[in-house]
Amino acid sequence: MDERMGAFRRRGVLAGMAGGAVVLAAPSILRAAPSGKPVKVGATLSLTGFLAQTAVVHKIASEMMVEEINGRNGLLGRPIEYVLLDDQSKPEAARSLYEKLITVDKVDLIQGPYATAPILAAMGVAQRYGKVMIQSSMGIPKLQTYDRAFPATPFGPEPNVTYPNVILDALATFPTPPKTMVVLTSKFPSAQFMAQGMKEQAEKRGVKVLLYLEYESGNRDFGAIAARVKEANPDFLWVGSLGLESNLLLESLRKLDYTPKNHFHLYPAPGPLALSPDGDRALCSTFVEPDEPFLSRPGFKHLADEFKVRAAKANLPYTSIDAQGCGMISEWQILEAGVNGAGSLDDEKIAAWLKKNRVTTVYGSMRFDGPFNHGDAAQLIKQVQNKDWKVVWPKEFAAPGVKLIAS
Amino acid sequence: MAVNPARDLPRLAAVIGIGVFALLPMAKLPAFYDSFLYLVFFWISLSTSWTLLSGFAGYFSLGHAAFFGIGMYATAVLSAKFDVPFLLTLPVAAAIPALLAVGIGAVVFRLRRLRGELFALLTLAVTFVIATIVLNTPIDGGGGIVMSAVPLPAIMPTPTGSIYALGFVLCVGTLAIAWKVAHSRLGMGLFAIHDDEDVAEAKGVPTFRYKLSAFALSAGIAGAVGGVHAMYVGFLTVSGTFELTVPLYVVLMSVIGGSRSWFGPAIGAAFITTLLYAFISGGEAMIGRALVGVILIVAILWLPDGLVPALKKWLARRRPAIAKPAIVHVAPVVATARPLGERVLLQVRGAAKRFGGLQALAGVDLDVREGEILGLVGPNGSGKTTLINVISGFYPLSGGTITIDGAEIGHVPAHAIARRGVARTYQIPRPFVNMTVLDNVILAATFGGPPRRAADIRDEALHWIGFTGLAGKEDVLPAGLNLHERKFLELARALAAKPKLLLLDEVLSGLNPAEVDNAIRLVRAIRAQGATIVFVEHLMRAVIELSDRIAVLNEGKLFALGAPRDVMRDPRVVSIYLGKAYAA
Repeated sequence: MDERMGAFRRRGVLAGMAGGAVVLAAPSILRAAPSGKPVKVGATLSLTGFLAQTAVVHKIASEMMVEEINGRNGLLGRPIEYVLLDDQSKPEAARSLYEKLITVDKVDLIQGPYATAPILAAMGVAQRYGKVMIQSSMGIPKLQTYDRAFPATPFGPEPNVTYPNVILDALATFPTPPKTMVVLTSKFPSAQFMAQGMKEQAEKRGVKVLLYLEYESGNRDFGAIAARVKEANPDFLWVGSLGLESNLLLESLRKLDYTPKNHFHLYPAPGPLALSPDGDRALCSTFVEPDEPFLSRPGFKHLADEFKVRAAKANLPYTSIDAQGCGMISEWQILEAGVNGAGSLDDEKIAAWLKKNRVTTVYGSMRFDGPFNHGDAAQLIKQVQNKDWKVVWPKEFAAPGVKLIAS
Repeated sequence: MAVNPARDLPRLAAVIGIGVFALLPMAKLPAFYDSFLYLVFFWISLSTSWTLLSGFAGYFSLGHAAFFGIGMYATAVLSAKFDVPFLLTLPVAAAIPALLAVGIGAVVFRLRRLRGELFALLTLAVTFVIATIVLNTPIDGGGGIVMSAVPLPAIMPTPTGSIYALGFVLCVGTLAIAWKVAHSRLGMGLFAIHDDEDVAEAKGVPTFRYKLSAFALSAGIAGAVGGVHAMYVGFLTVSGTFELTVPLYVVLMSVIGGSRSWFGPAIGAAFITTLLYAFISGGEAMIGRALVGVILIVAILWLPDGLVPALKKWLARRRPAIAKPAIVHVAPVVATARPLGERVLLQVRGAAKRFGGLQALAGVDLDVREGEILGLVGPNGSGKTTLINVISGFYPLSGGTITIDGAEIGHVPAHAIARRGVARTYQIPRPFVNMTVLDNVILAATFGGPPRRAADIRDEALHWIGFTGLAGKEDVLPAGLNLHERKFLELARALAAKPKLLLLDEVLSGLNPAEVDNAIRLVRAIRAQGATIVFVEHLMRAVIELSDRIAVLNEGKLFALGAPRDVMRDPRVVSIYLGKAYAA
């Protein structure tokens, strides 16, 4: 049975990869322009409110992908009509607007919103109407309990177990592997979830956790925390940070004349940390970067270039495509593959197809047949080198000529 | 019973409206409308609950997110972590914030300095404290609480219908409570507290208890609303629950609709929620938000009192002028003057009042007989107004005793003293500025006098308004009165309480000679009705003409006491106060 499933999966993988490659690589002149009644795809993004800075990246990536897909053959030969609403960064608005999209606007398909709370609010609506919902930013996979909800980012079903081990594997290659560490985390659900996993896995592998500290999300004063880090003086500092928290922490450490030996940051603002004088050799989570070997993936270079142009036009401070933009691209790639693969707009058929087939995305080949519809975990580690982010681990994904550097 | 369109049409509209909205989920409209209307109900309930304390009593709270958030977390924790049925969690979600409000109010409402912006800041701080506790304890701990596994009772055919029904019931319940409060003694007292809390207390309003009741009601409703909303949102985080936008929206909705009106916040909430949903398209999100902001600024600038009061004024202007019914003059309650008796009504013994290092009263002994007019004079700073203030309960005594009819009142709250038959006026009139002349007097009669039917109180109020020469001004706000009329409104309010003892603080100051003559006649008429009067006055002509006895205070002590002409000729009094012998 396992063997048969294995063969079946392999065939699915090959079919999915071949299909994706053909679709992404074929010259547009050879494709038929989509025609007929548009397929309405509805979604909300936090275009206003406290998540708006990130949502603008998603919006750019989404609009880019709608044009891309319509530039090919649309969905089942029909053009996509993207119905985007503003959930104002509020889960209650996300819920009511998904009800609007489904029951009033009568969209054919939906895409997920951004951030865990709006995703969970929207997921309940999707579940009541049996809609497939693909989302890219729910960092706690076990919360995705709806059978037709699919992740567009390869966290894997247990990132709190798998990813800490990726990090510890990388650190183990250092000439002097860390024996002690400090875990700091924002009390943000997905960051805290990963921090607790990091602590547990480190202790299992014999790394002594000298200090585990949680701080309120959005904290601006890291003076006291920095003093405790300096006092602990760990071999490795792991920070479950969001946005500019990492910059603020490193700045506070510098004021104490302390430079952490090795330091990792979970979800920092990529541009500011890379350009910060304190950010050199900082480690960070990623799934893909606009660099080799990823640029060799079908269509990725074109998408990365196009995103840069659009991001510059929208006056974004950091124009390179990052995990947020890639997550949205992946959402559309999965939806396109699911609809065209199932040959239907029927949510049941799309969900069934996705569970049986792999899809080629910017993150590589993804599957959805594991727990919580997650497939393989594909977290990577990147590092700031010469004011730029470079993937450094696992080695096979490292940019050409780039190596993980120990502090 | 005859049909009264002004009374019956709104009731009919309310019944039809409730019926239509109650049955709406049966109409099988797209679920979005259930969901959207739930959010309208949610904001109506929340903003109306806020206005019970902040709009009615003027205690501007920025802490509504705390009570709402406690309700959310009470329901989430009980239902998601302890498997308590969802509906059973709602009373708990209401009770915990209500108890917290009582606890906070029991401390804060005793302190005069914690009014206005300090109260707003304190309630905001409470929000941060509660959020910190929830975040750093197992209540949340930072991971959030997922509600998706909690079963929602099937009140209606669909889940959105059930949530709608719960939101609707809470909304109707909240509006019913707000209506009831606005039309009750509690509401009248809260409106008075809003305008002038100290005067409200002096007129017999139990301000502490009323504020506490309003705060508990406000917080309890917010908690229950939060309980239902936890189910609607599905995933609770501390940052999403205790966010500042909740109180800001609530305040905005109440102010836009009219925060002194029981129905105003509902209009504001419906207006703003609809406005926010009018600009949800991805292409217009930012422009939409900016436009909403501009509309709100314009609304606040043009309609500072809110939409509902503005609409009422507009309707009043459009209504054809109807002939006013003749003012009802009922017979005075005590029609004949009582002779000056020997029974002591007010007894002051060793009355002392200190303000830090300042000894305002340094042991005053004074008896006032029933039916007497006692003139209280003395140089500035001699303690006259302080004595009036300690008798009326505005200040507690630092030492000594004061009794009325033998009952000690030196440490009794002002409202309780008022109910024992002590009424006062203020040197500078302090009417309730947002109440009409009639309502000002009705309030004083309601809280200061003996319990009576509302119709009787109204008739008496009209009588005292006529008695003080203010007939025809019943519907005028105090801002529309001149100083003379405002002074007489003070008298009408005091008289409406049927006082045993009337304390008049420089009621004649600022009046011209003709107005003074009129006022002297009025005070005599009041005494003729049997009241005992203590009055502070600098106008010697009036003091001599009116007083049976004169008490002279100097440096916080009783300096002289006796018949007017004797006291005025006393060389010591001439020396410290008059500068020349008066009426020699």
